[in-house]
Amino acid sequence: MEISSPERRIFPIVPFKKSWILREILLIAGCFGLMALLFRIHWVIDFTIFCILVLSFDLLYGYMGRLSFGHVLYYGTGAYVASLMLTHVSPNPLLAIAVGVLMGGLLAMVLGFIVIQTDGAPFTLINLAFNQIGFWLVAYGLARYTRGEDGLNTMAGTVGFLDFTKQPVAFSFLLGCLLLVFFLLRIFTLSPYGVAIRSIKENDDRVRFLGYNIFYYKWLTFVFSSTLAAFPGTLFAVYYGFVAPTIISPFGNIEVIFAVLIGGAGNLYGAILGGVVFKLMSNYLATSITRWEMFLGALLLILVFGFRRGLTGYAHDLLLRLKPRPAVEA
Amino acid sequence: MLETIVYGLTIGAILYFFSIGLSITFGTMQIVNFAHGMVYAVGVYLFITFLPWVAGIFPLALALALVAMLPVAYAVERFIIRRLYGESLDYTIIATYAVLLIGADLIKWIWGAQPQPVSDPLGVSFRFFDVNLPVYRVIVFLSAIALFLGLKAFFNRSIIGRIVIAGLEDRNGVRCLGLDVNRYFSIVFIIGSGLAVLGGVLYAPIATAEPYMGFHILLVAFAVVIVGGMGNLTGTFLSALVLGMVIAITGRFWSTAADTMVFVVMALVLLKNSLLATWRKLTGLGSKI
Repeated sequence: MEISSPERRIFPIVPFKKSWILREILLIAGCFGLMALLFRIHWVIDFTIFCILVLSFDLLYGYMGRLSFGHVLYYGTGAYVASLMLTHVSPNPLLAIAVGVLMGGLLAMVLGFIVIQTDGAPFTLINLAFNQIGFWLVAYGLARYTRGEDGLNTMAGTVGFLDFTKQPVAFSFLLGCLLLVFFLLRIFTLSPYGVAIRSIKENDDRVRFLGYNIFYYKWLTFVFSSTLAAFPGTLFAVYYGFVAPTIISPFGNIEVIFAVLIGGAGNLYGAILGGVVFKLMSNYLATSITRWEMFLGALLLILVFGFRRGLTGYAHDLLLRLKPRPAVEA
Repeated sequence: MLETIVYGLTIGAILYFFSIGLSITFGTMQIVNFAHGMVYAVGVYLFITFLPWVAGIFPLALALALVAMLPVAYAVERFIIRRLYGESLDYTIIATYAVLLIGADLIKWIWGAQPQPVSDPLGVSFRFFDVNLPVYRVIVFLSAIALFLGLKAFFNRSIIGRIVIAGLEDRNGVRCLGLDVNRYFSIVFIIGSGLAVLGGVLYAPIATAEPYMGFHILLVAFAVVIVGGMGNLTGTFLSALVLGMVIAITGRFWSTAADTMVFVVMALVLLKNSLLATWRKLTGLGSKI
């Protein structure tokens, strides 16, 4: 049984009001717009795609407390399905995105029945194993269709004003996608369903005693989170027009986990902040630090031993300390 | 075909050497130890470095690699695993994974990224039914059987082994007897790490050493541990041999699919369990109440 520590509080100290959602969305849009002006725009597009992936992982790990080492499988599935759709069926990017997300969701529904049977370490490892199978299928097993390690080159067509070769247009579209995912996750996590999955993170036996069908909740969250992971995959395929097996490689999982941890798990802002910080680091530092993996490993150790609540967790503490403690509403 | 069987048994033996440490840490401490792969890979690279120093004497280089790696294993146990003990499982997974990453990068830094071959220390093979069988592989397999019997004796006869077995069943019960379970677990942890180095060194002449070898064998070994049952010593032995055969037979027909087939088998085993559970729920057969 896990030991609850203070940072695993179910409810945030400051009660959240639904009317804040619009302000939150404007704030995120503003921050990304500002970043697009400050940095190169194709970097910020990269951040946006990665942030959606991290957000989807945060639902599974941060909110439901299930650590998966195979989340990238669904990301890669979405990317490959979208690429194949673009090459073989139609160059319509919206159709490719829709079919990619759907196929990612279907895969998660089927595999979900197997992985949700397990908990804790076996859950992590079985996801890792499935990810490895997926990687092998893409790189070797189905190489006839995916062109193995050479990767797939595709070209997304234009639908109305949506032209992925124009960076500002692509950026606005992807930012819209990020905001949509954020909005969906905010609604879900505020709902009774969100409270239920956070309670499952705390202690799933007690939730079961309360009469909830926890298998259903876990399966639903797994499917939802994996479907959301397929979404940025399709966006990646449509925007870059190139997909290689590295996108589905199990090594990619540690980047997502790292991003969630550095931003603060169980917190939507944390996921976005973590995604941006990780991408900034890998863009700026990876060129100057030759031993990138060692650096990443050392930072992960620091995060685990002394910085568990992530950037947003400490920012939250700091804010609480600065202003007089607000009355806790029930 | 005979060649394939011998190859499968050899791979199974190596998997057993590697997985036994994982299985025990799983069973006793409920910890997924990704750092096991680091100890394995760095041990092999140290062995390759030591081999020319001791004029190519295989056992001596092996002993030196073991002596060098045991303190590292102790450090991982003392400073990472024990500090995270009793806390959430996720943090140990992430922390030990970080150690694995650092190890892989360290290897790339010191020895370079290109694979390093190791030559067969015996280089002799014997003919058996018109098939050339390398003596070395047979020796590896026999040593795995010896290890299995040795570990059986260790866990059934020696006092440390019995304490660990008791701890596997009921930690708190053993602690109530006034025994420091963690100390015995760390002894077993270090033995397991030593066996991983041993397995890696024995495997090096069959495959080649490369920086991510620890990660690759970890994936397969996790499947071994899950199929065999966590902390189940006999189950680990049998599942290592079976999965080794699966790798060898698949590899004979479709070489790139060899490792992946292991995960398919693992998924089938898991699926079988869940199907059985559903069946029992529906029919009421075999339920305890």
